[in-house]
Amino acid sequence: MIKFEHVGMRYGVGPEVLSDINFILEPGSFHFLTGPSGAGKTSLMNLMFLGRKPTRGLISMFDQNINDLERAKLARIRRRIGVVFQEFRLLPHLSAFDNVALPLRILGRPEREIRNNVNELLEWVGLGDYMKSLPLTLSGGQQQRVAIARAVIGRPKLLLADEPTGNLDDEIGLRLMNLFDQLNRMGTTIVIATHSQHLMDKFEHPRMVLGDGTLKINAPKNWIQKKIKGVF
Amino acid sequence: MAFFLPGDKKLGVATGRRRYDLPLNKSAGTGFLVLLIALMTFLGVMALAGSFALGSMAHHWSSGLENKLTIEIPADDATGTIRTREDIEKLSESVTERLSAQNFIRDIHALSQTEIQELIAPWLGEDAENIPDMPLPGLIAVEFITINDHLIEKMRADLANIAPNIVIDRHESWLADILRLTGALQFATLLTTLMIGATTIIAIAGAVKSRIAIHRKDVELLHLMGASDRYISRQFQRHALILALQGAAAGAAAGLLGLLAISLFAGDTAAALLPEFQLNMIHIFTLAALPAAACFIAAATAKFTVLRELALMP
Ligand SMILES: Nc1ncnc2c1ncn2[C@@H]1O[C@H](COP(=O)(O)OP(=O)(O)O)[C@@H](O)[C@H]1O
Ligand SMILES: [Mg+2]
Repeated sequence: MIKFEHVGMRYGVGPEVLSDINFILEPGSFHFLTGPSGAGKTSLMNLMFLGRKPTRGLISMFDQNINDLERAKLARIRRRIGVVFQEFRLLPHLSAFDNVALPLRILGRPEREIRNNVNELLEWVGLGDYMKSLPLTLSGGQQQRVAIARAVIGRPKLLLADEPTGNLDDEIGLRLMNLFDQLNRMGTTIVIATHSQHLMDKFEHPRMVLGDGTLKINAPKNWIQKKIKGVF
Repeated sequence: MAFFLPGDKKLGVATGRRRYDLPLNKSAGTGFLVLLIALMTFLGVMALAGSFALGSMAHHWSSGLENKLTIEIPADDATGTIRTREDIEKLSESVTERLSAQNFIRDIHALSQTEIQELIAPWLGEDAENIPDMPLPGLIAVEFITINDHLIEKMRADLANIAPNIVIDRHESWLADILRLTGALQFATLLTTLMIGATTIIAIAGAVKSRIAIHRKDVELLHLMGASDRYISRQFQRHALILALQGAAAGAAAGLLGLLAISLFAGDTAAALLPEFQLNMIHIFTLAALPAAACFIAAATAKFTVLRELALMP
Protein backbone atom coordinates (compact mmCIF):
# COMPACT_ATOMS: atom_id res chain seq x y z
CA MET A 1 0.00 0.00 0.00
CA ILE A 2 2.63 2.53 1.06
CA LYS A 3 6.37 2.11 0.79
CA PHE A 4 9.00 4.67 1.87
CA GLU A 5 12.64 4.01 1.04
CA HIS A 6 15.37 6.33 2.37
CA VAL A 7 12.99 9.25 2.23
CA GLY A 8 14.23 12.66 3.35
CA MET A 9 12.50 15.99 3.29
CA ARG A 10 13.33 19.59 4.12
CA TYR A 11 11.36 22.81 3.81
CA GLY A 12 13.19 25.08 1.40
CA VAL A 13 16.80 25.41 2.50
CA GLY A 14 16.02 24.53 6.14
CA PRO A 15 17.36 21.49 7.98
CA GLU A 16 16.07 18.03 7.10
CA VAL A 17 12.82 17.55 9.02
CA LEU A 18 12.72 13.91 7.97
CA SER A 19 15.82 11.93 7.11
CA ASP A 20 16.07 8.34 5.99
CA ILE A 21 12.50 7.20 6.60
CA ASN A 22 11.88 3.55 5.72
CA PHE A 23 8.64 1.65 6.18
CA ILE A 24 5.99 -0.43 4.49
CA LEU A 25 2.29 -0.28 5.32
CA GLU A 26 0.25 -3.31 4.27
CA PRO A 27 -3.25 -2.82 2.86
CA GLY A 28 -5.86 -2.96 5.61
CA SER A 29 -3.43 -2.07 8.41
CA PHE A 30 -4.11 0.42 11.20
CA HIS A 31 -1.24 2.46 12.64
CA PHE A 32 -0.75 5.28 15.05
CA LEU A 33 1.90 7.81 14.08
CA THR A 34 3.38 9.38 17.16
CA GLY A 35 6.31 11.41 18.41
CA PRO A 36 6.82 14.66 20.25
CA SER A 37 5.45 17.89 18.89
CA GLY A 38 7.66 19.12 16.04
CA ALA A 39 8.97 15.61 15.33
CA GLY A 40 7.57 15.74 11.78
CA LYS A 41 4.25 13.86 12.00
CA THR A 42 2.43 16.43 9.90
CA SER A 43 5.34 16.56 7.44
CA LEU A 44 5.24 12.78 6.99
CA MET A 45 1.46 12.95 6.49
CA ASN A 46 2.07 15.59 3.82
CA LEU A 47 4.30 13.19 1.94
CA MET A 48 1.72 10.43 2.23
CA PHE A 49 -1.18 12.46 0.82
CA LEU A 50 1.10 13.80 -1.95
CA GLY A 51 0.94 17.33 -0.65
CA ARG A 52 4.72 17.62 -0.97
CA LYS A 53 7.47 15.86 -2.80
CA PRO A 54 10.32 14.29 -0.88
CA THR A 55 13.73 15.90 -1.30
CA ARG A 56 15.23 12.44 -1.61
CA GLY A 57 14.28 8.78 -1.53
CA LEU A 58 11.49 6.76 -3.10
CA ILE A 59 7.83 6.74 -2.21
CA SER A 60 5.38 4.34 -3.74
CA MET A 61 1.67 4.52 -3.14
CA PHE A 62 -0.79 1.87 -4.29
CA ASP A 63 2.18 0.08 -5.85
CA GLN A 64 3.10 3.03 -8.05
CA ASN A 65 6.28 5.04 -7.76
CA ILE A 66 4.96 8.55 -7.33
CA ASN A 67 8.18 10.20 -8.49
CA ASP A 68 7.49 9.38 -12.10
CA LEU A 69 3.70 9.58 -12.25
CA GLU A 70 1.92 12.08 -14.47
CA ARG A 71 -0.43 14.67 -12.98
CA ALA A 72 -3.66 12.92 -13.89
CA LYS A 73 -2.50 9.70 -12.19
CA LEU A 74 -1.41 11.60 -9.07
CA ALA A 75 -4.89 13.13 -8.92
CA ARG A 76 -6.40 9.65 -9.22
CA ILE A 77 -4.28 8.47 -6.27
CA ARG A 78 -5.29 11.51 -4.23
CA ARG A 79 -8.96 10.69 -4.82
CA ARG A 80 -8.40 7.35 -3.09
CA ILE A 81 -6.97 9.02 0.01
CA GLY A 82 -9.07 10.64 2.73
CA VAL A 83 -7.31 13.27 4.81
CA VAL A 84 -8.22 14.87 8.13
CA PHE A 85 -5.97 17.92 8.31
CA GLN A 86 -4.62 19.04 11.65
CA GLU A 87 -6.11 22.50 11.05
CA PHE A 88 -9.24 21.01 9.36
CA ARG A 89 -8.98 23.15 6.20
CA LEU A 90 -12.71 23.40 5.61
CA LEU A 91 -13.81 25.72 2.80
CA PRO A 92 -15.10 28.72 4.78
CA HIS A 93 -17.79 29.76 2.29
CA LEU A 94 -19.32 26.29 1.97
CA SER A 95 -21.87 24.89 4.42
CA ALA A 96 -21.06 21.80 6.49
CA PHE A 97 -23.12 19.80 4.00
CA ASP A 98 -21.24 21.11 0.96
CA ASN A 99 -17.87 20.66 2.63
CA VAL A 100 -18.63 17.00 3.28
CA ALA A 101 -20.13 16.61 -0.21
CA LEU A 102 -16.98 17.93 -1.89
CA PRO A 103 -15.09 14.61 -2.33
CA LEU A 104 -18.17 12.97 -3.84
CA ARG A 105 -18.62 15.86 -6.24
CA ILE A 106 -14.98 15.62 -7.25
CA LEU A 107 -15.60 11.93 -7.86
CA GLY A 108 -18.56 12.93 -10.03
CA ARG A 109 -21.21 11.03 -8.08
CA PRO A 110 -24.89 11.78 -8.80
CA GLU A 111 -26.37 14.54 -6.63
CA ARG A 112 -29.13 12.29 -5.30
CA GLU A 113 -26.63 9.79 -3.89
CA ILE A 114 -24.57 12.65 -2.49
CA ARG A 115 -27.56 14.08 -0.62
CA ASN A 116 -28.46 10.75 1.00
CA ASN A 117 -24.92 9.81 2.02
CA VAL A 118 -23.96 13.22 3.34
CA ASN A 119 -27.17 13.59 5.34
CA GLU A 120 -26.71 10.16 6.88
CA LEU A 121 -23.08 10.69 7.82
CA LEU A 122 -23.64 14.16 9.29
CA GLU A 123 -26.51 12.76 11.39
CA TRP A 124 -24.22 9.98 12.52
CA VAL A 125 -21.47 12.34 13.72
CA GLY A 126 -24.11 14.37 15.55
CA LEU A 127 -24.27 17.34 13.21
CA GLY A 128 -27.76 16.73 11.81
CA ASP A 129 -28.85 20.19 12.94
CA TYR A 130 -25.83 21.96 11.47
CA MET A 131 -25.95 20.87 7.82
CA LYS A 132 -26.38 24.41 6.52
CA SER A 133 -24.00 26.07 8.98
CA LEU A 134 -20.83 27.71 7.76
CA PRO A 135 -17.65 26.38 9.41
CA LEU A 136 -16.92 29.63 11.22
CA THR A 137 -20.20 29.37 13.12
CA LEU A 138 -19.26 25.90 14.40
CA SER A 139 -17.19 25.06 17.49
CA GLY A 140 -13.73 23.52 17.12
CA GLY A 141 -15.06 20.05 17.91
CA GLN A 142 -17.90 20.43 15.43
CA GLN A 143 -15.51 21.58 12.71
CA GLN A 144 -13.31 18.58 13.43
CA ARG A 145 -16.26 16.24 12.97
CA VAL A 146 -17.08 17.93 9.64
CA ALA A 147 -13.45 17.43 8.61
CA ILE A 148 -13.58 13.76 9.59
CA ALA A 149 -16.89 13.24 7.79
CA ARG A 150 -15.36 14.82 4.68
CA ALA A 151 -12.36 12.50 4.89
CA VAL A 152 -14.40 9.30 5.11
CA ILE A 153 -17.43 10.08 2.92
CA GLY A 154 -15.78 8.79 -0.25
CA ARG A 155 -14.85 5.42 1.35
CA PRO A 156 -11.13 6.05 0.77
CA LYS A 157 -8.67 3.19 0.43
CA LEU A 158 -6.28 5.10 2.70
CA LEU A 159 -7.29 7.37 5.57
CA LEU A 160 -4.76 9.79 7.01
CA ALA A 161 -5.86 11.67 10.12
CA ASP A 162 -3.67 14.29 11.76
CA GLU A 163 -4.56 14.66 15.45
CA PRO A 164 -8.20 13.96 14.63
CA THR A 165 -9.53 13.74 18.16
CA GLY A 166 -7.59 16.62 19.68
CA ASN A 167 -10.60 18.89 20.08
CA LEU A 168 -13.14 16.22 20.96
CA ASP A 169 -14.41 15.12 24.33
CA ASP A 170 -13.93 11.47 25.21
CA GLU A 171 -17.35 10.25 24.23
CA ILE A 172 -17.44 11.68 20.70
CA GLY A 173 -13.74 10.92 20.30
CA LEU A 174 -14.38 7.26 21.05
CA ARG A 175 -17.32 7.26 18.67
CA LEU A 176 -15.11 8.54 15.86
CA MET A 177 -12.37 6.04 16.70
CA ASN A 178 -15.05 3.37 16.29
CA LEU A 179 -15.93 4.89 12.92
CA PHE A 180 -12.28 4.51 11.89
CA ASP A 181 -12.30 0.92 13.17
CA GLN A 182 -15.39 0.16 11.16
CA LEU A 183 -13.80 1.62 8.01
CA ASN A 184 -10.65 -0.39 8.75
CA ARG A 185 -12.65 -3.60 8.94
CA MET A 186 -14.15 -2.77 5.54
CA GLY A 187 -10.62 -2.62 4.13
CA THR A 188 -9.43 0.96 4.55
CA THR A 189 -5.79 1.38 5.55
CA ILE A 190 -5.54 3.88 8.38
CA VAL A 191 -2.81 6.08 9.84
CA ILE A 192 -3.66 8.33 12.76
CA ALA A 193 -1.14 10.89 13.93
CA THR A 194 -1.44 11.65 17.60
CA HIS A 195 0.69 12.51 20.58
CA SER A 196 -1.99 11.32 23.02
CA GLN A 197 -0.70 8.37 25.02
CA HIS A 198 -4.18 8.06 26.48
CA LEU A 199 -5.71 7.47 23.03
CA MET A 200 -3.05 4.97 21.93
CA ASP A 201 -3.37 2.99 25.14
CA LYS A 202 -7.05 2.40 24.48
CA PHE A 203 -6.35 0.62 21.21
CA GLU A 204 -3.95 -2.10 20.26
CA HIS A 205 -2.63 -0.72 17.03
CA PRO A 206 1.07 -0.70 16.13
CA ARG A 207 2.83 2.62 16.53
CA MET A 208 5.11 4.42 14.14
CA VAL A 209 7.34 6.54 16.33
CA LEU A 210 9.07 9.58 14.86
CA GLY A 211 12.17 10.97 16.51
CA ASP A 212 15.34 12.65 15.23
CA GLY A 213 14.00 12.54 11.69
CA THR A 214 13.74 8.76 11.59
CA LEU A 215 10.96 6.30 12.19
CA LYS A 216 10.61 3.08 14.19
CA ILE A 217 7.59 0.85 14.24
CA ASN A 218 6.70 -0.53 17.68
CA ALA A 219 3.98 -3.06 18.10
CA PRO A 220 2.34 -3.35 21.51
CA LYS A 221 2.82 -6.80 23.15
CA ASN A 222 -0.77 -7.98 22.98
CA TRP A 223 -1.03 -6.88 19.32
CA ILE A 224 1.89 -9.22 18.48
CA GLN A 225 0.34 -12.01 20.53
CA LYS A 226 -2.94 -11.56 18.67
CA LYS A 227 -1.19 -11.67 15.30
CA ILE A 228 0.71 -14.79 16.31
CA LYS A 229 -2.52 -16.43 17.42
CA GLY A 230 -4.01 -15.47 14.07
CA VAL A 231 -1.16 -17.15 12.25
CA PHE A 232 -1.25 -20.44 14.17
CA MET B 1 -29.77 31.50 -21.64
CA ALA B 2 -28.41 28.47 -19.83
CA PHE B 3 -25.51 30.47 -18.41
CA PHE B 4 -27.81 32.55 -16.28
CA LEU B 5 -29.74 29.83 -14.48
CA PRO B 6 -30.51 31.17 -11.01
CA GLY B 7 -28.99 28.10 -9.36
CA ASP B 8 -25.88 28.51 -11.39
CA LYS B 9 -24.04 30.88 -9.13
CA LYS B 10 -25.07 29.20 -5.90
CA LEU B 11 -22.07 27.86 -4.09
CA GLY B 12 -21.88 24.16 -3.66
CA VAL B 13 -25.14 23.51 -5.43
CA ALA B 14 -24.59 21.16 -8.27
CA THR B 15 -26.79 21.24 -11.34
CA GLY B 16 -25.01 18.91 -13.66
CA ARG B 17 -21.54 20.34 -14.14
CA ARG B 18 -22.46 23.89 -13.24
CA ARG B 19 -21.17 24.61 -9.80
CA TYR B 20 -18.77 26.74 -7.89
CA ASP B 21 -16.76 25.42 -4.97
CA LEU B 22 -15.05 28.79 -4.77
CA PRO B 23 -16.89 32.07 -4.14
CA LEU B 24 -15.61 33.59 -7.39
CA ASN B 25 -18.81 35.47 -8.12
CA LYS B 26 -18.41 37.34 -4.85
CA SER B 27 -14.85 38.45 -5.60
CA ALA B 28 -14.05 42.12 -5.56
CA GLY B 29 -13.48 43.63 -8.98
CA THR B 30 -16.10 41.54 -10.78
CA GLY B 31 -18.00 44.67 -11.81
CA PHE B 32 -14.82 46.27 -13.02
CA LEU B 33 -14.03 43.28 -15.21
CA VAL B 34 -17.51 43.33 -16.76
CA LEU B 35 -17.13 47.04 -17.44
CA LEU B 36 -13.71 46.51 -18.97
CA ILE B 37 -14.93 43.79 -21.31
CA ALA B 38 -17.93 45.94 -22.25
CA LEU B 39 -15.63 48.87 -23.09
CA MET B 40 -13.27 46.67 -25.07
CA THR B 41 -16.13 45.16 -27.06
CA PHE B 42 -17.53 48.64 -27.71
CA LEU B 43 -14.17 49.89 -28.96
CA GLY B 44 -13.73 46.74 -31.04
CA VAL B 45 -17.13 47.23 -32.72
CA MET B 46 -16.26 50.86 -33.48
CA ALA B 47 -12.82 50.05 -34.86
CA LEU B 48 -14.14 47.23 -37.02
CA ALA B 49 -17.01 49.34 -38.37
CA GLY B 50 -14.50 52.09 -39.18
CA SER B 51 -12.35 49.60 -41.02
CA PHE B 52 -15.35 48.37 -43.02
CA ALA B 53 -16.31 51.95 -43.91
CA LEU B 54 -12.78 52.68 -45.14
CA GLY B 55 -12.75 49.50 -47.15
CA SER B 56 -16.02 50.23 -48.89
CA MET B 57 -14.95 53.84 -49.47
CA ALA B 58 -11.77 52.75 -51.21
CA HIS B 59 -13.67 50.17 -53.22
CA HIS B 60 -16.24 52.73 -54.29
CA TRP B 61 -13.67 55.27 -55.44
CA SER B 62 -11.50 52.86 -57.29
CA SER B 63 -14.38 51.11 -59.05
CA GLY B 64 -15.83 54.48 -60.08
CA LEU B 65 -12.63 55.54 -61.75
CA GLU B 66 -11.04 52.41 -62.99
CA ASN B 67 -12.30 52.51 -66.59
CA LYS B 68 -12.10 56.27 -66.96
CA LEU B 69 -9.46 58.73 -68.00
CA THR B 70 -9.22 62.35 -68.99
CA ILE B 71 -7.57 63.75 -72.10
CA GLU B 72 -6.16 67.25 -71.73
CA ILE B 73 -5.39 69.58 -74.62
CA PRO B 74 -2.97 72.06 -73.05
CA ALA B 75 -3.73 75.76 -73.39
CA ASP B 76 -0.43 76.29 -75.18
CA ASP B 77 1.04 74.32 -78.06
CA ALA B 78 4.38 72.55 -78.23
CA THR B 79 6.20 75.80 -79.06
CA GLY B 80 4.66 77.67 -76.13
CA THR B 81 2.22 79.82 -78.12
CA ILE B 82 -1.18 80.21 -76.50
CA ARG B 83 -3.91 78.42 -78.43
CA THR B 84 -7.09 80.33 -79.19
CA ARG B 85 -10.41 78.98 -77.92
CA GLU B 86 -11.38 78.13 -81.46
CA ASP B 87 -8.17 76.12 -81.86
CA ILE B 88 -8.85 74.17 -78.74
CA GLU B 89 -12.49 73.53 -79.68
CA LYS B 90 -11.37 72.30 -83.11
CA LEU B 91 -8.78 69.99 -81.59
CA SER B 92 -11.37 68.67 -79.10
CA GLU B 93 -13.75 67.93 -81.91
CA SER B 94 -11.22 65.99 -83.91
CA VAL B 95 -10.16 64.00 -80.84
CA THR B 96 -13.79 63.19 -80.07
CA GLU B 97 -14.45 62.19 -83.65
CA ARG B 98 -11.36 60.00 -83.86
CA LEU B 99 -12.14 58.20 -80.61
CA SER B 100 -15.90 57.81 -81.11
CA ALA B 101 -15.11 55.59 -84.05
CA GLN B 102 -13.22 53.12 -81.79
CA ASN B 103 -15.14 50.11 -80.54
CA PHE B 104 -13.35 49.96 -77.17
CA ILE B 105 -14.80 53.31 -76.07
CA ARG B 106 -18.07 53.30 -74.17
CA ASP B 107 -18.56 57.00 -73.72
CA ILE B 108 -16.76 60.21 -74.66
CA HIS B 109 -17.65 63.73 -73.67
CA ALA B 110 -15.78 66.97 -74.31
CA LEU B 111 -16.25 69.47 -71.49
CA SER B 112 -17.55 72.86 -72.60
CA GLN B 113 -15.70 76.06 -71.65
CA THR B 114 -18.41 76.80 -69.06
CA GLU B 115 -18.00 73.38 -67.48
CA ILE B 116 -14.25 73.89 -67.26
CA GLN B 117 -14.70 77.33 -65.75
CA GLU B 118 -16.97 75.80 -63.11
CA LEU B 119 -14.29 73.24 -62.33
CA ILE B 120 -11.61 75.84 -61.75
CA ALA B 121 -13.90 78.34 -60.04
CA PRO B 122 -12.99 77.08 -56.56
CA TRP B 123 -9.34 78.02 -57.26
CA LEU B 124 -9.78 81.27 -59.16
CA GLY B 125 -13.04 82.50 -57.67
CA GLU B 126 -16.23 83.42 -59.50
CA ASP B 127 -14.32 86.19 -61.25
CA ALA B 128 -12.83 83.64 -63.60
CA GLU B 129 -15.89 84.18 -65.83
CA ASN B 130 -14.88 87.82 -66.15
CA ILE B 131 -11.56 87.01 -67.73
CA PRO B 132 -12.82 85.95 -71.14
CA ASP B 133 -9.36 85.70 -72.58
CA MET B 134 -7.90 83.53 -69.86
CA PRO B 135 -6.30 80.53 -71.56
CA LEU B 136 -8.09 77.32 -70.56
CA PRO B 137 -7.14 73.79 -71.57
CA GLY B 138 -9.55 71.49 -73.33
CA LEU B 139 -10.77 68.51 -71.31
CA ILE B 140 -12.34 65.34 -72.70
CA ALA B 141 -13.72 62.66 -70.38
CA VAL B 142 -13.37 59.17 -71.80
CA GLU B 143 -14.88 55.92 -70.49
CA PHE B 144 -13.52 52.62 -71.79
CA ILE B 145 -15.40 49.34 -71.89
CA THR B 146 -12.36 47.76 -70.30
CA ILE B 147 -9.20 49.73 -70.06
CA ASN B 148 -5.70 48.33 -70.61
CA ASP B 149 -2.20 49.67 -71.27
CA HIS B 150 -2.16 48.42 -74.84
CA LEU B 151 -5.31 50.38 -75.73
CA ILE B 152 -3.93 53.49 -74.07
CA GLU B 153 -0.67 53.30 -76.05
CA LYS B 154 -2.63 52.86 -79.26
CA MET B 155 -4.74 55.89 -78.34
CA ARG B 156 -1.66 57.94 -77.42
CA ALA B 157 -0.16 57.25 -80.86
CA ASP B 158 -3.45 58.20 -82.56
CA LEU B 159 -3.72 61.46 -80.66
CA ALA B 160 -0.10 62.41 -81.34
CA ASN B 161 -1.14 62.76 -84.99
CA ILE B 162 -3.72 65.36 -84.05
CA ALA B 163 -1.46 67.43 -81.77
CA PRO B 164 1.92 66.38 -80.29
CA ASN B 165 1.45 67.58 -76.72
CA ILE B 166 -1.90 66.03 -75.78
CA VAL B 167 -1.85 64.71 -72.18
CA ILE B 168 -3.57 61.52 -71.01
CA ASP B 169 -4.41 61.51 -67.29
CA ARG B 170 -5.35 58.11 -65.90
CA HIS B 171 -6.04 59.41 -62.34
CA GLU B 172 -3.55 56.77 -61.34
CA SER B 173 -1.34 58.75 -58.98
CA TRP B 174 -4.29 60.37 -57.23
CA LEU B 175 -6.09 57.04 -56.87
CA ALA B 176 -2.94 55.30 -55.67
CA ASP B 177 -2.50 57.96 -52.97
CA ILE B 178 -6.06 57.56 -51.76
CA LEU B 179 -5.85 53.77 -51.75
CA ARG B 180 -2.55 53.88 -49.88
CA LEU B 181 -4.10 56.21 -47.30
CA THR B 182 -7.23 54.10 -46.77
CA GLY B 183 -5.08 50.97 -46.68
CA ALA B 184 -2.93 52.47 -43.94
CA LEU B 185 -6.01 53.59 -42.00
CA GLN B 186 -7.53 50.13 -42.34
CA PHE B 187 -4.32 48.60 -41.09
CA ALA B 188 -4.36 51.01 -38.15
CA THR B 189 -7.92 50.07 -37.19
CA LEU B 190 -7.07 46.40 -37.50
CA LEU B 191 -4.04 46.94 -35.29
CA THR B 192 -6.27 48.80 -32.82
CA THR B 193 -8.67 45.87 -32.73
CA LEU B 194 -5.79 43.48 -32.08
CA MET B 195 -4.44 45.74 -29.32
CA ILE B 196 -7.90 45.80 -27.76
CA GLY B 197 -7.95 42.00 -27.84
CA ALA B 198 -4.47 41.80 -26.30
CA THR B 199 -5.40 44.28 -23.57
CA THR B 200 -8.49 42.24 -22.76
CA ILE B 201 -6.41 39.07 -22.51
CA ILE B 202 -3.90 40.74 -20.19
CA ALA B 203 -6.63 42.22 -17.99
CA ILE B 204 -8.49 38.93 -17.68
CA ALA B 205 -5.31 36.99 -16.99
CA GLY B 206 -4.45 39.51 -14.26
CA ALA B 207 -7.91 39.24 -12.73
CA VAL B 208 -7.82 35.44 -12.79
CA LYS B 209 -4.36 35.44 -11.23
CA SER B 210 -5.49 37.68 -8.40
CA ARG B 211 -8.53 35.46 -7.85
CA ILE B 212 -6.30 32.41 -7.65
CA ALA B 213 -4.06 34.26 -5.22
CA ILE B 214 -7.06 35.12 -3.05
CA HIS B 215 -8.33 31.55 -3.12
CA ARG B 216 -4.93 29.86 -3.25
CA LYS B 217 -5.55 27.80 -0.07
CA ASP B 218 -8.91 26.62 -1.36
CA VAL B 219 -7.57 25.81 -4.82
CA GLU B 220 -4.74 23.89 -3.18
CA LEU B 221 -7.22 21.97 -1.04
CA LEU B 222 -9.30 20.97 -4.08
CA HIS B 223 -6.05 19.89 -5.71
CA LEU B 224 -5.07 17.81 -2.67
CA MET B 225 -8.49 16.17 -2.61
CA GLY B 226 -7.75 14.86 -6.09
CA ALA B 227 -9.75 17.35 -8.13
CA SER B 228 -8.41 17.25 -11.67
CA ASP B 229 -6.94 20.39 -13.18
CA ARG B 230 -9.96 20.49 -15.45
CA TYR B 231 -12.38 20.36 -12.51
CA ILE B 232 -10.72 23.40 -10.98
CA SER B 233 -10.10 25.36 -14.18
CA ARG B 234 -13.71 24.80 -15.24
CA GLN B 235 -14.90 26.89 -12.33
CA PHE B 236 -12.71 29.84 -13.27
CA GLN B 237 -13.51 29.39 -16.94
CA ARG B 238 -17.21 29.42 -16.25
CA HIS B 239 -16.87 32.48 -14.06
CA ALA B 240 -14.92 34.35 -16.75
CA LEU B 241 -17.44 33.28 -19.39
CA ILE B 242 -20.39 34.64 -17.43
CA LEU B 243 -18.61 37.96 -16.87
CA ALA B 244 -17.59 38.15 -20.53
CA LEU B 245 -21.12 37.37 -21.72
CA GLN B 246 -22.51 40.21 -19.66
CA GLY B 247 -19.77 42.61 -20.68
CA ALA B 248 -19.72 41.67 -24.35
CA ALA B 249 -23.50 41.86 -24.66
CA ALA B 250 -23.53 45.33 -23.11
CA GLY B 251 -20.53 46.47 -25.15
CA ALA B 252 -21.91 45.17 -28.45
CA ALA B 253 -25.28 46.77 -27.78
CA ALA B 254 -23.60 50.08 -26.96
CA GLY B 255 -21.44 49.77 -30.07
CA LEU B 256 -24.43 49.20 -32.35
CA LEU B 257 -26.24 52.13 -30.73
CA GLY B 258 -23.13 54.22 -31.30
CA LEU B 259 -23.00 53.29 -34.97
CA LEU B 260 -26.70 54.06 -35.30
CA ALA B 261 -26.16 57.44 -33.62
CA ILE B 262 -23.25 58.25 -35.93
CA SER B 263 -25.25 57.40 -39.03
CA LEU B 264 -28.21 59.48 -37.75
CA PHE B 265 -26.39 62.59 -36.57
CA ALA B 266 -23.63 62.64 -39.13
CA GLY B 267 -26.08 61.53 -41.79
CA ASP B 268 -25.40 64.13 -44.48
CA THR B 269 -21.65 64.37 -44.13
CA ALA B 270 -21.34 60.63 -43.85
CA ALA B 271 -23.48 60.12 -46.93
CA ALA B 272 -21.28 62.50 -48.90
CA LEU B 273 -18.13 60.88 -47.64
CA LEU B 274 -19.31 57.29 -47.84
CA PRO B 275 -21.47 57.13 -50.90
CA GLU B 276 -23.64 54.02 -50.83
CA PHE B 277 -21.90 52.60 -47.77
CA GLN B 278 -23.92 49.80 -46.26
CA LEU B 279 -23.10 46.88 -44.00
CA ASN B 280 -23.23 43.67 -45.96
CA MET B 281 -23.78 40.20 -44.48
CA ILE B 282 -20.06 39.55 -44.01
CA HIS B 283 -19.68 42.79 -42.05
CA ILE B 284 -22.65 41.95 -39.85
CA PHE B 285 -21.31 38.46 -39.15
CA THR B 286 -17.88 39.83 -38.31
CA LEU B 287 -19.36 42.42 -35.94
CA ALA B 288 -21.49 39.73 -34.29
CA ALA B 289 -18.44 37.50 -33.99
CA LEU B 290 -16.68 40.17 -31.93
CA PRO B 291 -18.63 39.67 -28.66
CA ALA B 292 -18.41 35.92 -29.25
CA ALA B 293 -14.65 36.32 -29.61
CA ALA B 294 -14.57 38.34 -26.38
CA CYS B 295 -16.31 35.47 -24.54
CA PHE B 296 -13.99 32.92 -26.09
CA ILE B 297 -10.92 34.98 -25.20
CA ALA B 298 -12.15 35.39 -21.63
CA ALA B 299 -12.88 31.70 -21.10
CA ALA B 300 -9.68 30.53 -22.78
CA THR B 301 -7.52 33.04 -20.91
CA ALA B 302 -9.03 32.00 -17.59
CA LYS B 303 -8.49 28.35 -18.41
CA PHE B 304 -4.86 28.67 -19.41
CA THR B 305 -4.02 31.00 -16.54
CA VAL B 306 -5.46 28.55 -14.01
CA LEU B 307 -3.77 25.57 -15.63
CA ARG B 308 -0.43 27.37 -15.51
CA GLU B 309 -0.88 28.19 -11.83
CA LEU B 310 -1.97 24.62 -11.08
CA ALA B 311 1.09 23.24 -12.82
CA LEU B 312 3.16 24.83 -10.05
CA MET B 313 1.42 22.67 -7.42
CA PRO B 314 2.95 19.26 -6.63
N1 LIG C 1 5.62 24.76 6.08
C1 LIG C 1 6.74 24.65 6.82
N2 LIG C 1 7.81 25.41 6.50
C2 LIG C 1 8.96 25.30 7.21
N3 LIG C 1 9.12 24.50 8.25
C3 LIG C 1 8.08 23.72 8.62
C4 LIG C 1 6.83 23.78 7.92
N4 LIG C 1 5.98 22.89 8.50
C5 LIG C 1 6.68 22.33 9.52
N5 LIG C 1 7.92 22.82 9.60
C6 LIG C 1 8.95 22.43 10.56
O1 LIG C 1 9.12 21.04 10.43
C7 LIG C 1 9.26 20.45 11.69
C8 LIG C 1 8.23 19.35 11.87
O2 LIG C 1 6.95 19.92 11.92
P1 LIG C 1 5.63 19.05 11.87
O3 LIG C 1 5.74 18.12 10.73
O4 LIG C 1 4.46 19.97 11.86
O5 LIG C 1 5.70 18.25 13.23
P2 LIG C 1 4.53 17.61 14.10
O6 LIG C 1 3.33 17.51 13.24
O7 LIG C 1 5.06 16.32 14.54
O8 LIG C 1 4.29 18.55 15.24
C9 LIG C 1 9.13 21.56 12.73
O9 LIG C 1 10.42 21.92 13.14
C10 LIG C 1 8.50 22.67 11.97
O10 LIG C 1 8.98 23.92 12.44
MG1 LIG D 1 1.44 18.21 13.43
